[in-house]
Amino acid sequence: MKLTICHLYPDLLDLYGDRGNILALSARCRWRGIEPVIQRASLGEDLDFLGMDILFLGGGSDREQGLLVQDLMRRENELRSAIESGLVVLAICGGYQMLGKYYQMTSGEKIQGLDILDVWTIAGAKRLIGNVVVDLDENVLGIDSSPELRTLLGFENHSGQTHLGEGMKPLGKVSFGNGNNGQDGEEGVRYRNVFGTYMHGPLLPKNPHFADLLLELALQRRDPNTCLMELDDRLEKLAHETMVKRLLKQP
Amino acid sequence: MVKTLIKGASMKRTWRFWVALWAGKIITRGLLASGKKGTTLPGKIANWLDPQIIRHLSGAYSEGIIMVTGTNGKTTTANLLANILLEAGKSFAFNQAGANLVTGITGALIQNTRWNGSSQASLALLEVDEATVPKLCEQLSPSLAIITNFFRDQLDRYGELDTTVRLVRESLPQETVLVLNADDPLVAQFGVNQLNRPLYYGVERTPDSCSESLETREARFCPVCGTALDYTLFHYGQLGIFNCLGCGFQRPEPEILAQNVRPEEGLLQFRVGVTPFTLSLQGYYNLYNALAALTAARQLGLSDGMIEKGLRKFIPQAGRMERFYLQTGEITLTLVKNPTGFDQVIQTMISVDKPLRILIGINDLAADGRDISWLWDVNFERLGRYEERIHQVVCTGLRAEDMALRLKYAGLREEKLVIMHNLSGALDDLLTHRNESEVVFILPTYTLLFPLRDLLQERQKKAGLSQAQVKEHGEEASA
Repeated sequence: MKLTICHLYPDLLDLYGDRGNILALSARCRWRGIEPVIQRASLGEDLDFLGMDILFLGGGSDREQGLLVQDLMRRENELRSAIESGLVVLAICGGYQMLGKYYQMTSGEKIQGLDILDVWTIAGAKRLIGNVVVDLDENVLGIDSSPELRTLLGFENHSGQTHLGEGMKPLGKVSFGNGNNGQDGEEGVRYRNVFGTYMHGPLLPKNPHFADLLLELALQRRDPNTCLMELDDRLEKLAHETMVKRLLKQP
Repeated sequence: MVKTLIKGASMKRTWRFWVALWAGKIITRGLLASGKKGTTLPGKIANWLDPQIIRHLSGAYSEGIIMVTGTNGKTTTANLLANILLEAGKSFAFNQAGANLVTGITGALIQNTRWNGSSQASLALLEVDEATVPKLCEQLSPSLAIITNFFRDQLDRYGELDTTVRLVRESLPQETVLVLNADDPLVAQFGVNQLNRPLYYGVERTPDSCSESLETREARFCPVCGTALDYTLFHYGQLGIFNCLGCGFQRPEPEILAQNVRPEEGLLQFRVGVTPFTLSLQGYYNLYNALAALTAARQLGLSDGMIEKGLRKFIPQAGRMERFYLQTGEITLTLVKNPTGFDQVIQTMISVDKPLRILIGINDLAADGRDISWLWDVNFERLGRYEERIHQVVCTGLRAEDMALRLKYAGLREEKLVIMHNLSGALDDLLTHRNESEVVFILPTYTLLFPLRDLLQERQKKAGLSQAQVKEHGEEASA
């Protein structure tokens, strides 16, 4: 069995170890006998949003982000319909911002986004940098079996402050760090199977439950009866829990 | 008040200056007397008393001020150049020991300034943190500025790389002669639209140069116009022979070109023009450091003979491919702090072609960089491909678990990974299991470097090897 994972603009959006997310998804496929097919698509290249299983959009520096907004605009319709039909998307930092309505720079100028998520971002005066712990909202995750890990752990580094529109659900509440905007205590967003977040780290290796959620959603989209094989995640959980305990000063 | 006749001092020295200088000198004397290093605190106090103190102090260097900046290799480059200058019998002010922020630089200049405000040496060699360059250049104008390279390094402290590069570029005065790494597009771009043609150094090829790169690359795009860069050869990281099909920006022709590059046991051989050079360091990044020092030394009018001696006799500083001789055999200690540096260490370890036993120590304190995501930009997959050769990796430090996890995803089997937070315990584990056929590397981030080095020195002493024997060993190993 094959699973197609598309790393969009890997040459432009690859900051803060985000490629670790692709490494984590592919390894967790391989360990289960699923063959991961990694597509690396850059500016101007043809893409089949309807044929892929997981789309990954990372963060980039400001210069690089500017280069690709236009390119994405060209593909907006296809992407929108793939998302409406359940495409699994993980969008981090810059990728998250670009799926929203707009990014307002300090000068007041607005860069239009794809308007797929009802969120908008306003450049802040202060960069929000540091470790993040999020208490996952179980309803948002919408999975039957509750995983052992109930938090997400990552590292944020952004000056944009993102606000969610009515009806948009965050991934959870921040118990350490800033999250979407440093004010409302919320982090990330889930809309259909699109997950937007500010968490680098990279996110997926240390949050195996979240990595598996993406894989499960992608596989269930093909066959609703799919069930993921359990993996030996002792090291992943140890890395996750050691850091969460240290940040929250738990014994 | 002492009348000062100092060339280049653009502002009159005020009473503030004298208070700041003397306070700085008194504190320095106190610190040195109590056995401390004494540059940061005096620098801090002096800057507080006179925020323009660097301007006043720097006017005293009639032979000029040489600045060394960039992401990697600043300390080694500055030390190599210092060694060449010493070999040539020159005296100079120097902010040794990596005190490369405004306070440390001030402290070093104060140490070199007499109580009457005159300077002991007429030349200054300053290693400057890249984020400090703009602040420093408000007050002083370097005669020569060496820029080594720009890589991702502790991004959480500096914001993004583009900003750093831009700020350095905007702050350097037009009259400064630039010594630039021709092979790094992010550095070579400093020569575009420059009034004085910069001095470029570069490498023709190394035995490991290749036409495809899988390592982390910083400048995937032309820094001038944004088009994807075309490479005919990669030396390492984004360093190589590049050109832009969009605007024609290309790797400049270097005046100082290393040819015939050959790594040999523990050292590097190369040729510039007709002169052969030997460097007692490993790793191609050190070749670039040597070329930077060489280019600056030639510009200062030093002979190739002096330069050759200075490079050959150089002893690496603490924790840069530093060797220790313990009861169980030799080990190499080297600092790791960013993907490109780590990739180079991996390359060096694999090129040894022997079984490996490794200790990796990852901390996430301010000096290490709070964000450890860079570990995922390191090409550990390369170690994964040589998995049968890797006998064990002991992971230590505050982020030992993250390190082990990274290696798991790079393809190392979990039974080869050990997590041990106690530093001394981790070292014991590493050394007691080692067998003779194995090569041992210890790779810590900054805040673990000195604690590990202390432990190693202690053990080296216990092993009963005297300094002389150690030196002999070192010479044998590099002979």
